[in-house]
Amino acid sequence: MKRIPALVVAPVCLALTLAACSGGGSSDSDGPVELTFWHGYTEADGDVLEQIVDDFNAAHDGEITITTQVNPWDVIDDTFLPALSADNGPEIVAMPAERLPVYADRGAFVELDDFYADDESTPDLNPGALDMVTVDGTAYGVPTGFVPLTMFYNKALFDAAGVAVPTTWDEWVAAAQALTVDENGDGTPEQYGLALADHATVGNGVWPTLFYGNGGAIVEDGRAVVDSPENAETLEFWHDAVTAGAISPTGVDGVTGDGLFSSGRVAMYIGGPWMATVSEENGVDYGIAPVPAGPADQAASAIGVSMALTRQADQAQQEAAEEFFSFFLSREESVAWALGSGWPPLRTDIAADEVDENPVVAALTEQAELGRPLLPGVVNSTDVLTAVDDLTQRAMAGEPVDDLLAQAQAAVQAALDD
Amino acid sequence: MTTAHAAGSRKRAYRAPAPLGGRGGPVRQRTRTGSRRTRTALAFLAPALIILAVFVVWPMVSALQMSFTDASGFGQAEWVGLDNYTRIFTDPDIRDAVVNTVVYALIFTPTAVVVALALALLLTNDRLPLRGLFRTSLFLPFIISLAVAALAWSYLIDPQVGLLHYWLRGLGIDLGNVLQDPTLAMPAVALVAVWKNFGFYMVIFMAGLQEIPGSLYEAAKMDGAGAWSRFRHITLPMLSNTTAFVLIFALIAALQAFDQIYVMTGGGPYGNTQTVVMEIYESGFRKLELGFASALSYVLLLATLALSIVQFVFFGRREEES
Amino acid sequence: MSAATLRATPAPAPAPEQRRVVVAGRRRVRLSTVLLTAAVAVTTLIVLLPLFIVLFTAFKPTAEVNAYPPTLLPDAWTTANFDRIFTDLPFARLIGNSVLFAGGVTVFAVAFDALAAYALARIDFRGRRTLLVAIVATLMIPFQATLIPVYQIVSDLGWVNTFAGLIAPRAADAFGIFFLRQFFVALPRDLDNAARIDGASELRVFWQIVLPNARPAVLTLAIFVFVNNWNDLLWPLVFTTEREMGTITSGLTQLTGPGGIVPYGVMMAGALVAVVPLVLAFMLVQRKFIESIATTGLK
Repeated sequence: MKRIPALVVAPVCLALTLAACSGGGSSDSDGPVELTFWHGYTEADGDVLEQIVDDFNAAHDGEITITTQVNPWDVIDDTFLPALSADNGPEIVAMPAERLPVYADRGAFVELDDFYADDESTPDLNPGALDMVTVDGTAYGVPTGFVPLTMFYNKALFDAAGVAVPTTWDEWVAAAQALTVDENGDGTPEQYGLALADHATVGNGVWPTLFYGNGGAIVEDGRAVVDSPENAETLEFWHDAVTAGAISPTGVDGVTGDGLFSSGRVAMYIGGPWMATVSEENGVDYGIAPVPAGPADQAASAIGVSMALTRQADQAQQEAAEEFFSFFLSREESVAWALGSGWPPLRTDIAADEVDENPVVAALTEQAELGRPLLPGVVNSTDVLTAVDDLTQRAMAGEPVDDLLAQAQAAVQAALDD
Repeated sequence: MTTAHAAGSRKRAYRAPAPLGGRGGPVRQRTRTGSRRTRTALAFLAPALIILAVFVVWPMVSALQMSFTDASGFGQAEWVGLDNYTRIFTDPDIRDAVVNTVVYALIFTPTAVVVALALALLLTNDRLPLRGLFRTSLFLPFIISLAVAALAWSYLIDPQVGLLHYWLRGLGIDLGNVLQDPTLAMPAVALVAVWKNFGFYMVIFMAGLQEIPGSLYEAAKMDGAGAWSRFRHITLPMLSNTTAFVLIFALIAALQAFDQIYVMTGGGPYGNTQTVVMEIYESGFRKLELGFASALSYVLLLATLALSIVQFVFFGRREEES
Repeated sequence: MSAATLRATPAPAPAPEQRRVVVAGRRRVRLSTVLLTAAVAVTTLIVLLPLFIVLFTAFKPTAEVNAYPPTLLPDAWTTANFDRIFTDLPFARLIGNSVLFAGGVTVFAVAFDALAAYALARIDFRGRRTLLVAIVATLMIPFQATLIPVYQIVSDLGWVNTFAGLIAPRAADAFGIFFLRQFFVALPRDLDNAARIDGASELRVFWQIVLPNARPAVLTLAIFVFVNNWNDLLWPLVFTTEREMGTITSGLTQLTGPGGIVPYGVMMAGALVAVVPLVLAFMLVQRKFIESIATTGLK
């Protein structure tokens, strides 16, 4: 792309004469290699990540300096693309895992196959997490988080209703019915058994999770497999359960769902590890259980976060970044990261009892193998997720499932063929 | 400020330049003053034009260039000719987005203009007490960002926690889940934009209303014209310039609807609030198809331009008639 | 429109014959006045409802935010939603940045727009109609389409993370030029022609005659530009990567809660904190602004 000569703008520059210029990270021949690292960890996880980076910098004093900059997950696409376009973006960037393939496909990231080929620096990681950084068989990133959606339940409400924690769909629906209360009979329950957040959720995983439970899926081996009898059954089952018993509000997004659970209006909620913090902050006595098993399978869509190395990094910066990745994946840092972030460890050789000082992490670690990667390697995940939203929202509104599935199948396949 | 120059001054204004560069003077002098005036005008225009050239026109040229490529915003882009443009006219999603945008504009533009004009009329009525307080209060929504307005309204009409939803149910009106309702979602997002923006349009109308000489109303009254007749034959024609101005900018804003839709519905339910600019944003910033996004932006620009010209012509004609 | 007047007397309301009722003995008030007042008051309350919601929700504990049936006022007032805003964010710095950014854009944009509008409205030169149409046409491309090229220019200038980079691209805008041009055009020409014949320069005519007479219009544009830039989220977010360079609006995005999700109460608290300085600033100028428009018109 052509650029305008700076001269043309000089009068403006003079007129404003405001601030000094500044550039991105660079690696001078002398001095340490400098790296910029964008991520969206803003909570306790952000503090732990800072600590890991600080430790790394201290261990590589005079050689490598990593500077972190917070770019919340919501806006990272908005800021990362302009920065990439002008070559002044970060060398390392963390992003929601389903966003990685499109950038990798357009050539934004450095291939990391050689990094993974080196057994010493790369331990065995959760295979689902690795799938989410792999595009067309090539690795483009390092996972920083991978956790199956899990069920949070309100212990006080369960005790009051005398209901046991469900482990199958039928038990789940029965429990939800028992926990739904509409005292004044106005049709809007004061308390719901369940909140199925079906759009604008972190990880977009509620419906994929339900599909897996009945043996269905959305994409398999790069082909659309939405239109299946299994998925038709799933949609009908949940449509009937939700509309017949009003066990869950419909059209709930992530913010509303989190709010309803944390204010005690919902007994069961499918969410990510942060719901533990949210519940604690709001005084909800919560329990964690795996998402109840469907008729065919017990599985849950996972929320993933991956970090990647941008092509803006020169050779020295690439080596430095890989050094950091190894450090991040080391046993000691992995445990620290899991405990601090509240997400289960990514290394398969760290067992639940090694992280049991944080009971949430220990519980999630036991569920880790239930996690299925969301749309791994799918470049156009945007359109696939839109098609799934369309499908599930229409199905819950009572439209005929067969037509919807056929349309969704076509839309997903079109997105994959793009 | 003077009140002496009444309605006739505009006519005199048109004749006024004659002594400086009009027909009477020798040709040479006319061209010389003409070029001097052009130089003066350029000097006045220069700062704004430099900014616009560098930060608006040049980026527009870049975008135009990109619209013929498969650019993703970074790395190498390949020339693809008119591919992006042909895709626009064949992609059913784009067709749906165009329809949605037109629906949005048809709700937003007239509603915003009518509400603003109606309130401007009420708020310039001498018999209304506390006018200052009402004016300030009604302007306040304009100070809020559209994103915050969207959040506040989403919360108000939420079927689980929304106060407005609850109150309306008390009155026997159950709106259901408005933002998930395929027929109500679009009016809802359009009305949020009306709520946020009408105050600004209202102020412009208030200014226009003050320009209408009171003597016209007095004369009409003496002729026995009623309130509606005075509104129809004096207020509306005298306001046509202001109305044209407000309409054009309301239309431009409507055709670029984005912020509150992004926050409130994300384009749903089932793509029913997916507008053209939502498509542009998703193509550019989510799917990294900046070339396609640029092409779509240019089609939008041309469509907006065409509609604006139609409006200009329409109002221009009305102006001459009046 | 024929009126280029600067009238001080307000236009009489188009009022039909009224029935009069006696209210409270002494003052005779028309029934229609009561109805008019009631209608405007109810409209105003409805219009203000979302603002009250922002205000009160900011002080509600989470359980109340999500309670059913919902209430307008908090039951137990809390400032918990504000805690993180003041502890986690460099609050004073962000507000200062917002003032510099929105204020800087306003000063430059209003000045440059007014100069350009003057030329387009009051100086006869060849091609001014075409130029005007071209300027307005630049508004018709969505900014999402030009954001990347603009960023590249700003980056090439080395202005990312600087006030220059934030302000310069917005130091003039087509809307403002067209807006002011509309009002400058309608000012009576007698004044400036008289001054020109007396030998006044165009700059003097602009400064001493046109600008003072268009003060309400200039103030309106200033409010418009200031508000839009103060509230802008994406612009400062994209053009500043360093936290200390952010504005209050962009800074609030850093307050994402656990899982990247922000509870409503915190969102509303953030919105309130961001808008309060704006409301205060507006209250300072609103007397001049709205009253001057109401009594003299914009022109």
